[in-house]
Amino acid sequence: MTDYAGLVSAAGAMQRRQMYADPAVYEQELERIFGRCWLFLVHESQIPQPGDFFRTFMGEDDVLVVRQKDRSIKAFLNTCTHRGNRLCRADRGNAKAFACNYHGWAFGTDGALVNVPLEKDAYFSEIDKSRFGLVEVDQVASYKGLVFGCFDRNAPSLADYLGDMKWYLDVWLDAQPGGSALIGETQKVELMTNWKLPVENVCGDGYHLGWAHAGAMKAVQSMDFSGFTVGNASVELEGGLSIAGLNGHSVLATVDGVSGYSFYPDNAGILRYLEQNRPTAIERLGRLRGEKLWGSQLNLTVFPNLQFLPGLNWLRVYHPKGPGRIEQWTWAMVENAMPADIKQRILDNQLLTFGPAGLFDNDDGDNLAACTEQSRGWRTRQLDVHTNMAQGRSGARPGLPGDIAVGVVSEHNQRYFYRRWQEHMAAADWRAVPQYNLNSLQDAKDLAHVG
Amino acid sequence: MSAETHALLSIDQHLALTQTLYREARLLDEERFADWLDLLADDVHYRMPLTARRFRADRSAALAGGAGYVFDDDKGRLGLRVQRLESGLVWAEDPRNRVRRIVSNVEIYRAQTDGEATVHSVIEVHRSRMDAQQRRLTAARTDLWRLEGGGWRLVRRLIGFDHPVVIDSNLNVFF
Ligand code: FES
Ligand SMILES: [Fe+2]
Repeated sequence: MTDYAGLVSAAGAMQRRQMYADPAVYEQELERIFGRCWLFLVHESQIPQPGDFFRTFMGEDDVLVVRQKDRSIKAFLNTCTHRGNRLCRADRGNAKAFACNYHGWAFGTDGALVNVPLEKDAYFSEIDKSRFGLVEVDQVASYKGLVFGCFDRNAPSLADYLGDMKWYLDVWLDAQPGGSALIGETQKVELMTNWKLPVENVCGDGYHLGWAHAGAMKAVQSMDFSGFTVGNASVELEGGLSIAGLNGHSVLATVDGVSGYSFYPDNAGILRYLEQNRPTAIERLGRLRGEKLWGSQLNLTVFPNLQFLPGLNWLRVYHPKGPGRIEQWTWAMVENAMPADIKQRILDNQLLTFGPAGLFDNDDGDNLAACTEQSRGWRTRQLDVHTNMAQGRSGARPGLPGDIAVGVVSEHNQRYFYRRWQEHMAAADWRAVPQYNLNSLQDAKDLAHVG
Repeated sequence: MSAETHALLSIDQHLALTQTLYREARLLDEERFADWLDLLADDVHYRMPLTARRFRADRSAALAGGAGYVFDDDKGRLGLRVQRLESGLVWAEDPRNRVRRIVSNVEIYRAQTDGEATVHSVIEVHRSRMDAQQRRLTAARTDLWRLEGGGWRLVRRLIGFDHPVVIDSNLNVFF
């Protein structure tokens, strides 16, 4: 029996390497993380019409998300209820019904079994078709365009699950009327890494940026890098915040309102868009978010495996495929209010920087894979890894929910990510999983008065 | 890409172009990126579209903004990629990976414009990386080449990548 409490030491800011490679740990993650948490399925913009479907995964479970005739969204296990064949083999599209390849059972877009070949001759009309509809994902809910599914009926509502993280998500999802969208096809890359490593890389690891991406940063040095220098020689720490303590969700944020778009070779058009629409953002989100966060580089992490980066404008989900393998799926994100040419620039720039041949993304994969691989050795796996940077230096900031450390080079967010992971792994059910929104919005408002 | 004809080039032009394709593959295998860039016309357009697995009968609407391109590069952007690879700071390529390109199924036709040729080919990129790790990537290429200054230069390349999921942790390679 694995001692999940012993795998993470928040006080010592370290984790046991066993958690990256142990099949038993992974099995428990499928049950207690992916079987329990709200998981990102699709953005509403990706299935706009009735009959539009999108094939995705919840943990290792193959899931089919379908827009219904009444425009609601349902999600089903993508498995035929007859003998278990994979029902839908396309990535996305539009369908009137789904017919199984094996014996021809056909299911409506609402999941009902509508046709059984030879029903009269072979089943003697004795089959009760109502018993064999597709198995629905227990809960499906949306937050401002992001659609999530959950296998646990006892989970808190999506709104409660997200908690105060919603306040940060709104910087992207609700700054402008019309909301957001994902554009382009899904960019799928197989990485030989444990799923937690890319999450921690993006949720809190500003440290690797100047070093791991030195080649890309040197090549595109005409761009402005918000205080980062090639080779980690120095960094401007005051330019950002690491925000965590939000039910396992977290944010890295620059706070200048423009640097999100500093990785664009020619960003004049985008800066003009920000300038023109800033008053609307302030009106909708207030001064702090409208001025300081909208347009900044934000790394948003929704526990366990959804991340998106306004600024670089990608949204990404990591599907586990065993303890040491994932599929990383990425899309470009836009605000619907953006003019068409800016949307096009964003899709293009996202692919150039963080697509499958992305100048920056191409530096990360091998590091993540090697951290995983090196955790397999019998002696090596008994070692720890460390997230002890700037420990004990966080606190409340006026107006912002969460426990906050100064700077985006910090291991503050990773510590909270692994703390949340441990809380889920050790808990028998949701009742034993603590909920915390540290320095909640209510307290933050009070602080704003004091400050 | 100009409309396809099946008119052939003269035998020596055909031979010179075939040799250029093989030479291009070797230049890339040997990481002679500056020489590779010299093989490209100044107005080169190098693309690899993203695709999805779709039902043949699918009639769903086109995606907003199009599918997107893994590569959608002009010479400046290819130069940027080369600069990164030659910066000495791309740790994933250090020690160097052994990469072998096999170019095959070469068909060469006269294009509509004089001195230009449409070339179809298949490329197989073998990457030998850490320890026993082997990756084999395949793609179909449709090119336009132009005779310039006595040699063939690549003007356009459309790369049909065969992998719905990229089966390597990076694509620090040209096709
Ligand atoms: S397994 Fe699907 S119809 Fe038999
Ligand atoms: Fe990175």
